[in-house]
Amino acid sequence: MVKLLKAVNNTIGGTPIGAAAEDKRTSTRSKQAILRKALRAALRVINVVGLLALVLIFAMPFIWMLSTSLKTLPETMIFPPEWIPRNPVWQNYADAWNTGPFLNYFVNSVVIAVGILILQMLTIIPASYAFARYKFKGSNFLFGIVMVTLMIPAQLIFLPVYLELSAFKLLNTHLGLILPFASSAFGIFLLRQAFMQISDELLEAARLDQAAEWKIIVKIMVPMVKPVLVTFALFSFIAHWNDYFWPLVMTTNETARTLPLGIAKIREVEGVATWNVLMAGNLILVAPILVVFFLSQRQIIKAFVYNGVK
Amino acid sequence: MTVWEKLRPYGMVAPAIIIFSLFFIYPIFYMIYLSMFDWNFVSPTKTFVGIQNFKDLLTEPDFRQVLSNTTIYTLLTVTLTTGIALLLALWLNRKSFFHGFVQGAIFSPHIISLVSISLLWSWLMDPEYGLLNWVIGLAGFGKLEWLSHPSTSLISLVMVAVWKGLGYNALVFIAGLQSIPSDIYEAASLDRSKPWTTFTKLILPMLSPTIFFLVIINMIGSFQVFETIAIMTQGGPINSTNTLVYYIYEYGFRFFKIGYASAAGVILLVIVGILTMIYFKLLSNRVHYR
Amino acid sequence: MAKIELKNISKKFKDDTVIEDLNLTIKDGSFTVLVGPSGCGKSTTLRMVAGLEKQSGGEIWIDDKCVNDTPPGLRDVAMVFQNYALYPTMTVRGNIEFGLKNRGVARQERDKLVKDISEIVGLTPHLDKKPQNLSGGQRQRVALARAMVKKPKVFILDEPLSNLDAKLRNQMRTELIQLHKRLGTTFVYVTHDQVEAMSMGDEIVVMNKGVIQQADSPMKLYHDPANLFTAEFIGTPAMNMMKMGDVQGLDIQSAAGIGHVGFRPEQALVNASADIEGYAIEGDILTRESLGAENIYQIQARTGVFFVKTFLAPLVAADRVKVTIPYDQLYYFGLGGERLRGIVASPKRLVAAGGI
Repeated sequence: MVKLLKAVNNTIGGTPIGAAAEDKRTSTRSKQAILRKALRAALRVINVVGLLALVLIFAMPFIWMLSTSLKTLPETMIFPPEWIPRNPVWQNYADAWNTGPFLNYFVNSVVIAVGILILQMLTIIPASYAFARYKFKGSNFLFGIVMVTLMIPAQLIFLPVYLELSAFKLLNTHLGLILPFASSAFGIFLLRQAFMQISDELLEAARLDQAAEWKIIVKIMVPMVKPVLVTFALFSFIAHWNDYFWPLVMTTNETARTLPLGIAKIREVEGVATWNVLMAGNLILVAPILVVFFLSQRQIIKAFVYNGVK
Repeated sequence: MTVWEKLRPYGMVAPAIIIFSLFFIYPIFYMIYLSMFDWNFVSPTKTFVGIQNFKDLLTEPDFRQVLSNTTIYTLLTVTLTTGIALLLALWLNRKSFFHGFVQGAIFSPHIISLVSISLLWSWLMDPEYGLLNWVIGLAGFGKLEWLSHPSTSLISLVMVAVWKGLGYNALVFIAGLQSIPSDIYEAASLDRSKPWTTFTKLILPMLSPTIFFLVIINMIGSFQVFETIAIMTQGGPINSTNTLVYYIYEYGFRFFKIGYASAAGVILLVIVGILTMIYFKLLSNRVHYR
Repeated sequence: MAKIELKNISKKFKDDTVIEDLNLTIKDGSFTVLVGPSGCGKSTTLRMVAGLEKQSGGEIWIDDKCVNDTPPGLRDVAMVFQNYALYPTMTVRGNIEFGLKNRGVARQERDKLVKDISEIVGLTPHLDKKPQNLSGGQRQRVALARAMVKKPKVFILDEPLSNLDAKLRNQMRTELIQLHKRLGTTFVYVTHDQVEAMSMGDEIVVMNKGVIQQADSPMKLYHDPANLFTAEFIGTPAMNMMKMGDVQGLDIQSAAGIGHVGFRPEQALVNASADIEGYAIEGDILTRESLGAENIYQIQARTGVFFVKTFLAPLVAADRVKVTIPYDQLYYFGLGGERLRGIVASPKRLVAAGGI
């Protein structure tokens, strides 16, 4: 169909309706063509310049961060600012690291983000499979709970959850920071869609092959939704690695605090004005994520844009 | 069907449902319950006050300021982010290495911790030595106070939010644009449709589900803004950037007025609830053209 | 090898009765084709035999065992699905041996079986590929190999050729016939394509609206249809049907009420010589399809539009033709669609003299 339209288009383009009139103006035509070419070239230049400017708006703050992190304190107080530090001060990074128990923060961040991820995988796979593939009484009601959870941002109910965790004596523990996120409504929603799209024939074929139900799930169904699982895992890990709010609210001392809290604390420890140390600390937090992002950009963008397009 | 086969689905959904009930569903009711009490978190007794907390909230000038701050912040952030992102998407929707790179660059703030972004922009917006003052100086403007002055503080926070959200929004739009079958454009060009007509009559209506999705997601996100405020302004100067979640946080964790903070939480819950309802209502009314 | 018996089978989906009181015996070692328009219950019947669908009432026997409560994996039935249903996450080898693994077949024997079967269907060079990297025909072969390797008593095929292009479909058709000869296993095959049914089956079951219309050999079905539905369903173009009320100039001695009179397009003679005794119709040629060896005419007559097929005859150029159908080639159907046999017709004297 498209081909046909294109063919029609070509024939129309070949003999334009005003063809006879245009033939009379062949002399002005070449001038016009040159003009048009120039205009197109100009547009192309504007386009490229615009794109570069756009990149700059997003890259400059990061470059500025790197530059500041290598300056001496007096150098940060020069205006107009200088982009390249005279003598790179690597000491800033050590200073930033030594403002608090950073190794501890780092371990906490890893334990919490990985812990959440593992528990989420263990809870969302069976749940989404059951919602997608089994008919059972009350499934609509139970899925309603999932949908309500999906719609309610965790940020909204931190106060009662805080009281709850404090009653369970889980404040300032890894478990307290992991447990509320041990399952993910978003994950169940995504994965359920994926499971529903698998054709019934495949399950029937497996049943005729005498495969037990658990074997069908583990050997056939889960491998088929692997791309969705990877997508979700990236999404979940980055979200919890970056989280500031929840660890801030649910901890009162250093034992379970994570990197973002540690970095934010540099400001309180060092005072407002030491931007060089602050930016060094900030870079420690940002660099790994940015490196991972530029290595697997496509996959990560897909993971985040996924929930917008479904 | 054996007993095991009947019970299996319940066993499979149980862990997830237990977590949700414990940490999402139950807390909602608990918060509504708490909103009707006067309690300071330490004292063993809670005093029932009915809807007094809500009355107090709505007559408190500070809270009105908070509500208006949150609304202004949300409206500005959502319109600017969604609008600019749509323009960017139309511009960047091309498949070349360079365009891919630009897309990646504008997306990058989305995966970075809000802590980093807040600290970075605090420094960029430093009134004395900040880079932003230098940039607007190049354009011939005088120094601005940015976050340190009540007249510019809220709009500065909006700027940061737009900077962070733009890439994500633009990429969702691009995905939406790419899901429109290309033969529609071809048919339109055969019908000699002008680019503007094609945009308003075809592209925009077909993008409407994406637009609604982004507007609602951005709204829900903006209503609960916390990190940037906690790190960059602490609600100041003179309460000019205090918003709902930060207000709840302060009353709960600084002043220990649990009932009062819960009441504010219930109000936020109602707002987010209404927004979500509108979203699903619009979805079911088929703003789609698919 | 096995005989399959369906006894008083019925199937309801919620309140919809799809099949009611169906009785059928599928002979041991036969190539039985279930054919009918979509939604006639043929696939449901097949799936009940495989155990993928549970019948609402009645009994299914495979060999001399009632399999009502046997799960699909233990019925000794193998199936080839319409969309092949290959496991996309496993290699070709993985697909073929999955069922063997689940039965606990030892590794050595598994390897031998896979090797043998892949030679038969010509998949040996592709054993380590994923199904996504195979062509349509190769995927079809994997589906066949996966079914065959289990050495089932019954082979079930649910429209297995519908996703192939015309040429490949013809090739696979012959291959399946040969395969059936070689294995001697009972094949049960479902299709909506009557040409496929006629060319492959040695026993054809015509179904409509959940009821078996006729179960017979292909030739019996063609020459001796039991009712109006079968007559119209089998053959291309379909049998021409005239309402009895529209038919004039035919003297019929019959006590039963006749609803329709029909004839096959290939039995009608165009511009036949006058000495052939038959029912004559005059009409205008609407279209001519010339396929080389055969020509198909669409003709508009007073009784309606009908088709005529001629073999190895020159294309008729005239616009108006006389078509003659020998009396013994007319089929009669009752008011309820049932076939009426033994009716003798002759021309009405009066009309013949005066012309039509």
